[in-house]
Amino acid sequence: MEKTRREFVKLVGGAAVGAGMLLAGRGKAGAQAKPVKGVPSEPVMIGAMPGLSGVIAVPGTAAWRTTQMWVEEVNAAGGILGRKIELSMEEETTAKDCVERFRKLTLEKKCDVIVGLMSTGNGLAVGPLAEELGQLWLAWDATTQKGVEETMPKTKFSFKSTDNEAEAIGGAILTAKFFPNIKTVVGINNDYSYGRDCWDAYQAVLKNFNPNVKFVDALWPKLGETDFTSHIAALKRANADLIMTSFWSGDVPILMKQATAAGLFKRSKACFTTGGGAHYTLKKEFTPEGIILGYNSFYFRWTDTWPLLKKFVNAYYTKYKEYPVYECDHAYFVLQAYKEAVEKCYQILGRWPTKEEIGKVLSGIQVPSLSGFRGYREDNIMSCNFFMGLTSHKNPYDFVTISEMEVLTPVQIMKPFASAKLYDWIKGWKS
Amino acid sequence: METILNVLFSGVFHASTLFLVAAGLQVVFGVQKVFNLACGTFYALGAYFGITVVKLLVDHGFPKPLFIAPLIAAGLLLGLIVGPVIERGLMKFVYDRDETFQLLLTFGIVMMLEDVIKFIWGTSPQSMGGIDLMYGQLNVLGATVPVYNLIVILCSLIIAGLIGYLLLNTKFGRIIRATADNREMSEALGINMKVVYIKVFTLGTVLGTLGGALVIPAGAAVSEMGVELIVLAFAVVVIGGLGSMKGAFIGALVVGVLKSIAISTYPELEMLTVYIIVIAVLVIKPEGLFGGSRV
Repeated sequence: MEKTRREFVKLVGGAAVGAGMLLAGRGKAGAQAKPVKGVPSEPVMIGAMPGLSGVIAVPGTAAWRTTQMWVEEVNAAGGILGRKIELSMEEETTAKDCVERFRKLTLEKKCDVIVGLMSTGNGLAVGPLAEELGQLWLAWDATTQKGVEETMPKTKFSFKSTDNEAEAIGGAILTAKFFPNIKTVVGINNDYSYGRDCWDAYQAVLKNFNPNVKFVDALWPKLGETDFTSHIAALKRANADLIMTSFWSGDVPILMKQATAAGLFKRSKACFTTGGGAHYTLKKEFTPEGIILGYNSFYFRWTDTWPLLKKFVNAYYTKYKEYPVYECDHAYFVLQAYKEAVEKCYQILGRWPTKEEIGKVLSGIQVPSLSGFRGYREDNIMSCNFFMGLTSHKNPYDFVTISEMEVLTPVQIMKPFASAKLYDWIKGWKS
Repeated sequence: METILNVLFSGVFHASTLFLVAAGLQVVFGVQKVFNLACGTFYALGAYFGITVVKLLVDHGFPKPLFIAPLIAAGLLLGLIVGPVIERGLMKFVYDRDETFQLLLTFGIVMMLEDVIKFIWGTSPQSMGGIDLMYGQLNVLGATVPVYNLIVILCSLIIAGLIGYLLLNTKFGRIIRATADNREMSEALGINMKVVYIKVFTLGTVLGTLGGALVIPAGAAVSEMGVELIVLAFAVVVIGGLGSMKGAFIGALVVGVLKSIAISTYPELEMLTVYIIVIAVLVIKPEGLFGGSRV
């Protein structure tokens, strides 16, 4: 049947409108994730507790930046099972405040998971609360040995960071490897649990390899000290073959600079177990080559063959004009682990899982992170590699990097399970 | 001998920066009767600003060995800008109020300025690289002393001398001393108290910013560095006597050298040693070693 002109116009017009609606719909579908069966439509609430002031500001800021970058990226890709992510941030300050803020994130903001915290004092206060509230808490740090053994031996909802003494243990292993002939060691560590525990662990491990080594002195500057000239005079007086420190923040460049200015490294070798926490501040002008430098569990130049690392370092540098530090990967990993645990649960259950169910899957999970595969052990402690080496000036930057890089595995530097006694484990080594 | 000299030099170096901050605290308290908690934060501001100015100039071809001149200028300039702004903008509202308000206000300034620092410079430590190392080291009877540290000590001594001269030999110094002794009488004699307060607060601020700028090439700037120093400045003030410049000088030396000796002998007792002296002074001579002599 032949169509009239009016009918033809209606047909073409209708087709155009239909095509337009279809295209508009496609565009919309691209920006918004498709609803997934059995998954609520409202956003996933992630609470974050970064420390943004004081000595923890350097790693805290890095972790917070990484959290935001991760959320942006995942949201752009459709969110978690189609649910967009919303962040709610409460700053990490004192233990009392952290407890109140954790409660607020859980009860008022209805967060599905809370990530963050770096101070052990805060972690030990929040850990039991997370268990009581049934709230998933994935720590960035905040978990030294003694505290964890005593306060959080078994947890269902709290997922702890790596053993904080791991870098001191790694530092001692590398001291024995790179400087087997040293006879005397002096320590300079911050006067709080992390500094004290690192010094104890370092001594225990080094004694294992080198029973004749003598620990001649130990200095305990306060956390946040910014003038080490008096400590350097004391280090000179100790006249030791090696100086060990577990400094990890703004105090690292200050100590390095003032020690170099006083000629300390002409006589003594050094092991900065965690100095990579502020690695880009260690300028070549005042950081000699050949010092043991630990980057904790993330080294921005680890390899060229792990695309995730390369992409992240480039994105981070482009955005912040800084090279990322270890706390970035703590932050990245906990979020990635959460996402993958939710997705795994969904595959089994066909619905959005409860916090308890997610917790069960998180125990023992392994996910690709910035520094390779990372995971949680069955006892809910993070397990990952650590990176250490000798400072080197052979790089295109104005700060040092490391040569002779050693990748220390959890088997080497972390006790096998939470309830194991650290020093019994070390004594049991065959050196 | 080498050890003694190392300990002594490090103690005096520490004392020289402590003195500048404590002197700022003293001059403001002496005249305005305000215990200015923010003087430590002025020190931090001076450090950050000094780094920025020197880096900028060096990047534009300024000869590195002469960096100390713009560094001092940066410290002075910042103090001259920040001092009057804070005095007129905030401090003037609390002069006649209870000391609690004054403390709260200056504590508020500490918090605000720390955030300003983080906003402008971020949370990462800032440094000038190894610019101070170009001056090398000096061997004094076996002790290796960085030359830059000696320059800082010398600058502090010069500043102490200038303050002494200003207070004792100039008209402004006489006005300051008169105001510190009796504000009402000074006002009755026609002294413009508003101008005196602006000048005195600015002087206190300049001492802080200059101290921060001077010391920073030998270290690195972190946002909390001012808070760390103010705690020790309290000890200096208690030992030397509140409001006394001579007290600030001697108190800083006592705290700096004592701390250095403690670290070298009984490191566990570093702070205990300082506070034992503080407590002893409070018990035996509560007004401090030079508490009688004002400004």
